[in-house]
Amino acid sequence: MVNSATEVRTQIAALLPRLRRFGRTLANSREDADDLVQMAIEKALVRTDQWTPGTRLDSWMFRIMQTTWIDELRSRQRGGQTFVDEAEGEFVGVNSNDAQVDAMSVRKAVSRLGDDQRAVVGLVLVEGLSYQEAAQVLDIPVGTLTSRLARAREALQQMLGGAA
Amino acid sequence: MTTWNDEELMAHADGEIAGERRAALEQALAHDDRLRERVDALKAQRQRVAAAFADVLDEPVPDRLSALLASSSAGVPPPQVIDLAARRPQSGELRGMSSWAAWGGMAASLVLGVVLGAQLLGQGGAGAVDVLTSDAGGRLVAGQRLAKVLDTQPAGQAAGGIAVQLSFVDKSGQYCRTFSAGDAAGLACRREDRWTVLAAASAEQAPLSEMRQASSSLPRSILEAVDARIDGSALTAEQERQAREGGWRR
Repeated sequence: MVNSATEVRTQIAALLPRLRRFGRTLANSREDADDLVQMAIEKALVRTDQWTPGTRLDSWMFRIMQTTWIDELRSRQRGGQTFVDEAEGEFVGVNSNDAQVDAMSVRKAVSRLGDDQRAVVGLVLVEGLSYQEAAQVLDIPVGTLTSRLARAREALQQMLGGAA
Repeated sequence: MTTWNDEELMAHADGEIAGERRAALEQALAHDDRLRERVDALKAQRQRVAAAFADVLDEPVPDRLSALLASSSAGVPPPQVIDLAARRPQSGELRGMSSWAAWGGMAASLVLGVVLGAQLLGQGGAGAVDVLTSDAGGRLVAGQRLAKVLDTQPAGQAAGGIAVQLSFVDKSGQYCRTFSAGDAAGLACRREDRWTVLAAASAEQAPLSEMRQASSSLPRSILEAVDARIDGSALTAEQERQAREGGWRR
């Protein structure tokens, strides 16, 4: 098994762009997202033996990221650190067809979802996991995942409107 | 007649329904335009959300992450983007300031000023400080020429080779605008009645001729700097006009 740790390392390296993207759906800023990826990799590397070869490595990493993020949120709350303020101002759909501006308003809307909802949006809509896979990552029943996703999508719809 | 709830329609849009339920739903969709519209809207939303995060995959992975997984520390090219933005939004400008100071403060502002100025003028040196300069505290601020454009140009327009793309209110309640000149672009926000440049980068590609008309594509680091600061969404043309007439004060 000497090589398996090296093998996992190589495979995680190949996943880095997707891990960073999932991080971006959980955290508001790029720095927080990359810090999260870093923490998750550090955790993963000391427990590579817990990953079962043949199962999805991306799901395993997403799960480590998700639990790490929840821990991070709690410890920041304990430390009294405030997050980017959730201003109440109504969210006006951007009336521009610029794809960059649209992407920005979508990311903003996702950032305003609750933490649980962000995770399901990230896993299913962005990372393309099936409901079953996403439910396993989050360690929740599929039914819970489905209703959580439906609520998140409804909230996004209200913030963004229908026009693409 | 079967009724279909939101979760079932969503599951169908996501390709998660199989067997008899799926056959029944597909049959219903064939005869019900409104039902089909709801499914189509869900599919469109999925694409829109996925597209909003798609760019992350193309970003260069930060060295600190690759290094964790590398067996050897092979040389990695340095990032070409100069990001003066605060590392975390909640720590405000202080972080940006301190890393800026570590860079060599004034000297570094001048280097960046010359780079931006040269992009704009086609040659280095003279006139660069008209675009960017630094204040007494070593902060990078808009020079006369850039300040004038930021004060007066509506978003989506260019003047004197400087284009303005977006105006918005940041989380501290101040106005901010993005601008580009030649290959360089930046984000400036009102601080103490001046346009303080919080982030600058060299654009991927934005020839001057195209930029004059295009809404333009901003370098990712600038968009992210906007993302980190924006409160709500970009100003509408009308909100922007009011801001301009009010001297960008709040």
